[in-house]
Amino acid sequence: MGNTDQDKMWLESALGTLPTVPVPAGLERRILADFDAVAARRRASLLGRLRDAVWPGAPAWRPAFVFGAALVIGLMAGVLIPLEDGMAEGTEQTAAVSLDAPPAFEIGENS
Amino acid sequence: MRAATEPANPSVKSPTALPKADCARPRAVIEARQMIDPDTDLVQRAGQGDRAAAQALMARHLPKMLTLARRMMGSQAEAEDAVQDAFLKLWTHAARWEPGKAKFETWLYRVTMNKCYDRLRKRAPASLDEAVEVADPAPRADSLLEKAGLAEEIEAALQALPERQRAAIVLCHHQEMGNIEAAEVLGISVEALESLLARGRRTLRARLGHLKEE
Repeated sequence: MGNTDQDKMWLESALGTLPTVPVPAGLERRILADFDAVAARRRASLLGRLRDAVWPGAPAWRPAFVFGAALVIGLMAGVLIPLEDGMAEGTEQTAAVSLDAPPAFEIGENS
Repeated sequence: MRAATEPANPSVKSPTALPKADCARPRAVIEARQMIDPDTDLVQRAGQGDRAAAQALMARHLPKMLTLARRMMGSQAEAEDAVQDAFLKLWTHAARWEPGKAKFETWLYRVTMNKCYDRLRKRAPASLDEAVEVADPAPRADSLLEKAGLAEEIEAALQALPERQRAAIVLCHHQEMGNIEAAEVLGISVEALESLLARGRRTLRARLGHLKEE
């Protein structure tokens, strides 16, 4: 048992004499470039999935154009089309219903 | 040629690859592991495309992974390629990382180790012959370090070990990993790891015994 422990200690010290492995800057750059490529691919695939959900098979500009046109038309309509008189500012519509007034018909009356 | 088994965690596609112990692990243990794993937050952020998190992960783990790969491959260039492959796998799977299933560092060690195995198995027979030549303690002229006899001899003896024994020795004696974690990295039982360690130590003792006596 003692020998085994001595072996372990000796082995650890022997392996400790191995030179440390330096991390080259080039390797760090390559790994980060991989990260950027994967992130860009993921972003592109997210946009692609969204586009396919909206308009399958269409080029990217088509759903973007339709969405933009719809937005512009909606805004123009909101700004330019005048409100109807009944909904105009300053006029209030109130419902004139009197709860204690007799009904306009009688129950049992044949009409 | 069959690729090494892929490791457990971001294995959303192959949940059966999870370590058996994880399947039955109580929720409290998983939560505790999640709490003490200092990398979880960084991995999740890297998965969302956060470059700073990726840099932090790299700064934390790259030196150890490179050392491991260097000791496994015996070649700086091949070690760098294996580590780059391992990090590429990390970037690809980071978005699907599930905290608590495995400790991140253990998973990364395992990926790196598998990349090393893949490369070792793809080595052409000529390279294998070369590897045997490396075991020859005669000095070579291509590196200053190799002229420093002691380190060269130890490195050569290490390279001459079968890859599983080498992996066990490097993880436990060089990377100072505990037996349980090392077994998890290698995907074997602790008993199997101890057997690999014993055989590896015996072989190294036989090859390097003369250094011990000096």
